[in-house]
Amino acid sequence: MRNLIAFFKRFRVFLVFAVLQGLALSTYFTYLNFPRAQYLTSASIVNGQILTIKNDVTKHFNLSYNNYKLQKENIALRKRLPQSFIPIQSNIFKIDDTLYHQQYEYIAATVINSTFDKRNNYFTLNIGSSQGIKRKMGVFSDKGIVGIVHNVSDHFCVVKSVLTEAINIDVMIESTGAFGLLKWDGGNPKIGSISGISNDMKMKRWSKIVTRGGSGIFPRGLTVGIVSSFKPVEAKPLWDISFYYSEDYRKIQRVYVIKNLLKYEQKELEAQIPPDTEE
Amino acid sequence: MRIFIIHTLRFVLFLFAQALLFNQLEIGFGIQAMIYPLFILLLPYNINIFLSMLIAFALGFGIDSISNTYGLHASAAVLLAYLRPIIFKTFEPRDGYEDTQEMNFYEMPTSWLLSVFGLMLLIHHFWFFTLELFKLNEIGFILQKTILSVPVSLIVCILIQIVFIRKPSNK
Repeated sequence: MRNLIAFFKRFRVFLVFAVLQGLALSTYFTYLNFPRAQYLTSASIVNGQILTIKNDVTKHFNLSYNNYKLQKENIALRKRLPQSFIPIQSNIFKIDDTLYHQQYEYIAATVINSTFDKRNNYFTLNIGSSQGIKRKMGVFSDKGIVGIVHNVSDHFCVVKSVLTEAINIDVMIESTGAFGLLKWDGGNPKIGSISGISNDMKMKRWSKIVTRGGSGIFPRGLTVGIVSSFKPVEAKPLWDISFYYSEDYRKIQRVYVIKNLLKYEQKELEAQIPPDTEE
Repeated sequence: MRIFIIHTLRFVLFLFAQALLFNQLEIGFGIQAMIYPLFILLLPYNINIFLSMLIAFALGFGIDSISNTYGLHASAAVLLAYLRPIIFKTFEPRDGYEDTQEMNFYEMPTSWLLSVFGLMLLIHHFWFFTLELFKLNEIGFILQKTILSVPVSLIVCILIQIVFIRKPSNK
């Protein structure tokens, strides 16, 4: 017993060091995969307020560029309004159509904090659960997809962006329909990669990449980027595809969060698939 | 009492400067300037090591919670506070630290500051980037980030000392 106490006395500095180190590292590795409480992240009330004040200053830096982008999007949307069409045959064009059922709703948001040069980059948005945000909702901007909601508090949420290692959004090449998973290898915020496309598929440079919409997070056909290069993976029958993101994540400010109204229905149906029994 | 107030003020300033200013600066090539190691260097020489580790932990966690790194800065800061007395002992000048109050740019010789603080930054950055990437096959990227970031942090920290610390009048 005395030896034990002597041991603790001798190594007490190192023990305190080990405890603090363990605390920090366990938080890091658990939060990376699944955040349990939001008070340690930028979604908490205090940090959210601090970042809101910061954003009040920095949001003006790209104001004219962002206004220009919004204006262009408004033009594109205005073109599709019923007022912009001339009815060629009257009583064919209808707005309240029972053939179409609304599946996706969009909530506008502002990015109040973002990074792009870390290994895993998270964006903080100025909306939270009181605006109807939940975990695992998709986020996109007018030019391309942005990420998936990772953690939510009352008035803020943290988005795991496409600039993280294990984002795994299912995307496809628009022309051929070949699909794979989106990854980011950590270097350049302009370039992402796709894994899982078999290398007997035909590939073409500059072909467009869009979301596949399989997991119910993103609707089908949102722009992701264009293929910049591809080469076969060594010893595997797969392509290693790099592509340019269509959105510039270094100056992103306005985004939309996607609310899938039929997600529950899809998940319920997919849960009925029996698991594989034969190994 | 004066020392207590000075260091509390510095704690807050370094926390917000790092989280809101230097973590937002994105220079490219994986460079990340970190200035809060300077706060740990400037703590009083004879501070209790438990206290300094706790202060470093709190500072790191504060930065983490604003910039969504979940404990990375805390881990690196605690490591730095733990190694601080050991490094000081290794690089002790011939006549000791008897009449030094603070390890700043004016009180210590420049060669001492460059070697000790450079080594502290090297350890801190290497630990931080290793944990951040945490893969053996990305060792090249870890080294690139470390080697490019250390000079940037060192220069920024020396500039901060020149600008903000008052020169002692008797020297």
